[in-house]
Amino acid sequence: MSQLLPADPALTAPPPPVTPTPPVRAARRRGLSHQTRQAVAGSLFVLPFLVIVLLFLALPLGYAFWLSLHSESLVLGPHFSGLEQYKEAFTDPQFLTGLRRVILFGVIQIPIMLGLALAGALALDAINSRVAKVFRLVAFMPYAVPAVIGALMWGFLYSKTFGPFAGVSGLWGAAPVNFFGGSLLLVSLGNVVTWAWTGYNMIVLYSALQGVPREMYEAAVIDGASPVQIALRVKVPAIKPALSLAAIFTVIGTMQFFNEPAILARFAPDIDAGYTPNLYAYSQAFRFSAFSYSAAISFTLGLSVFVLSYLFVFVSRRRAARA
Amino acid sequence: MKHRRFAPFTRAGSIVAAALTAATLLANCAGGSSAADSGASQGGSGAGPVHIKVWAWYPEFKGVVDAFNASHKDIQVDWSNVGTGPDQYAKLKTAFKAGSGAPDVAMVEFQEIPSFVILDKLVDMGQYGANDDKSLYADWAWKQSTDGNKVYAIPVDGGPMALMYRKDLFAKYKIAVPKTWDDYAAAAEKIKAADPKAYIASFGKDGGWLNGLMWQAGCKPYSYSQAQAKDAVGIKLTSPECKKVVDFYGNLVDKGLMAKDPFFTADASAALDSGKYWTWAAAGWTPGYLAGSLKKTSGKWAVAPMPQWTEGANDQGDWGGSTFTVTTQSQHPKEATIVARELFGSSKAAWDIGLNKAFLYPLVKDVAANASFTDKAYDFFGGQKVNQIFVPVSNSLGEFQYTPFQDYVFATMNDLSAEALAGKRPWSTVLDETQKKVVAYAQQQGFKVSE
Repeated sequence: MSQLLPADPALTAPPPPVTPTPPVRAARRRGLSHQTRQAVAGSLFVLPFLVIVLLFLALPLGYAFWLSLHSESLVLGPHFSGLEQYKEAFTDPQFLTGLRRVILFGVIQIPIMLGLALAGALALDAINSRVAKVFRLVAFMPYAVPAVIGALMWGFLYSKTFGPFAGVSGLWGAAPVNFFGGSLLLVSLGNVVTWAWTGYNMIVLYSALQGVPREMYEAAVIDGASPVQIALRVKVPAIKPALSLAAIFTVIGTMQFFNEPAILARFAPDIDAGYTPNLYAYSQAFRFSAFSYSAAISFTLGLSVFVLSYLFVFVSRRRAARA
Repeated sequence: MKHRRFAPFTRAGSIVAAALTAATLLANCAGGSSAADSGASQGGSGAGPVHIKVWAWYPEFKGVVDAFNASHKDIQVDWSNVGTGPDQYAKLKTAFKAGSGAPDVAMVEFQEIPSFVILDKLVDMGQYGANDDKSLYADWAWKQSTDGNKVYAIPVDGGPMALMYRKDLFAKYKIAVPKTWDDYAAAAEKIKAADPKAYIASFGKDGGWLNGLMWQAGCKPYSYSQAQAKDAVGIKLTSPECKKVVDFYGNLVDKGLMAKDPFFTADASAALDSGKYWTWAAAGWTPGYLAGSLKKTSGKWAVAPMPQWTEGANDQGDWGGSTFTVTTQSQHPKEATIVARELFGSSKAAWDIGLNKAFLYPLVKDVAANASFTDKAYDFFGGQKVNQIFVPVSNSLGEFQYTPFQDYVFATMNDLSAEALAGKRPWSTVLDETQKKVVAYAQQQGFKVSE
């Protein structure tokens, strides 16, 4: 576009009220076109972010992927081996056990947590008092506690000697409950995660509820709907996008389960080097010096996260379409 | 030194660091960008003293560094504590992988030395005269730190093992202090009879502890010498000497005579302090570790030599201990060697702090033999001079080697013990399965394994 004024006669019909000063026009004509200048300005705005993404995300990811294509042995050092490491990861029983464990964990824990969060959000939305404000703050608080501190705290709360829960069974003379062993261990871990994240998800859902037009509730009331019916038939469908967003984030977080088991490992002997896939990747790199295998595990895990979250989106879209 | 002996605060801090490192693992396992600080030491040619960076997690270490800096004009130590045990190794391995960021001198536990040697990341201090120190240190410790004439580490502290027991309770119930492991099993029954809620001890999931007990039983499962053959390693965890230890303890656990709680937790301390555990097969550094935390039972404990497998024998083991190493990333390996040799070495000022504030068990023979150490009476042990038991143990320890992947061995042994503790695996299979897994791992890593 070399002309400043568009050629379309319809647009040129009213004569320009102000005649542009010639020197500027000349300068503009000599320099870059308007569009190019906009493009340059745009890229300049994007540049800082782009540099950070390239430097701290794309480059390390690329390097990690490059590492994962090498086999590494203590005696021979690293050598290129293509997808060999991935083949190993997919047949590594310890990795697969960990993967199965977090999936089982997610299947049970995510619905419980989101259910609680939804119930809390609906309750918050229904009662509008000072109590609700306090409740909102208290529910959100665990999220503000750093995960490591939270896990350590629960380590003491679960303690056989100091914990408040262990003593309860003593009331009828039973031995203190071992929260760190057997099938209870995964429940204990799930409780810590639920404690930390329910409030966060509740606030996300509550904010979504705030955006629902009040007229819809009025219409429902006029139609004779009970409060429970309004909650389940009007409010929940209205915030479905927020619900699935919270669910996807939770699925991703669960697949990367690390902090709680890593910290509770000192209390719970059953948490082994490969208890969760992320913990296994950590052990491989920083305990067994197998950086490239760790990279392969990380990518395999990343791939599983991608597949699972895509599957989730796909299923929820299909269900939405059918409904 | 055993790494878990410190206040939970430092530990928590290091966990935070470890967790942060790992939280960004996906983007970060590139290794280059994380954890380690930049650059080795500056200084050098001409102007001013050479600065040597040291990573260590000894308690009360600042005083030791100050003493070194005060007595050395040309070399100054810049010390940082980047984490305890595994947390520090994680950072060290990251720095080695990245090619920069490692300190000049790093604290490394004995069992980890070959794992760093095989990565070719430790300087042979023999080139800088470190072989002169050979006669200074306990023989077993020097052998674990060296490979022929190559000196990869300078020993600092150790953990000769002995049996800690509740003297008052043993006397009250007229139970004889066990001299053999058979006596120990019998005492376990008597303790259960005396107090159904008590246990003779706990079986913690701890590779170093179990290793010390196996060492004492004459089980020497590993052999490795990089100087002789980089790719040859011996692993024999299935010998009767090794298996009898796990069978013995497993039997006590299965009978309910031994608790299953992990070591080094607040619960474990409470159990020791409340009369729930009556003994602990512990190490030379234990007095310092426990004295501060067991308030109620202070003065009621005593130390006896380890129970023996054959009556009248004198077989001993070690649990823990640490050294100083010089990394290949150091720009000043000569000066770094001096730091490694002299931070503790025969420095009186350093050992004053090491013995009386940090409660290290000294591997410097003269320091260990000194009357101020052997005649020291411990209030915690009712005035007993416990070092008179620990020192002969350290002196009689024989050679014991580790593999260049000891972390993997201990992790495997720990995880399989945990399965046995949880009742999911018979104890008799723990070492067989460990052997199988470790051999497969070693072969996959390119080693020729002799079993």
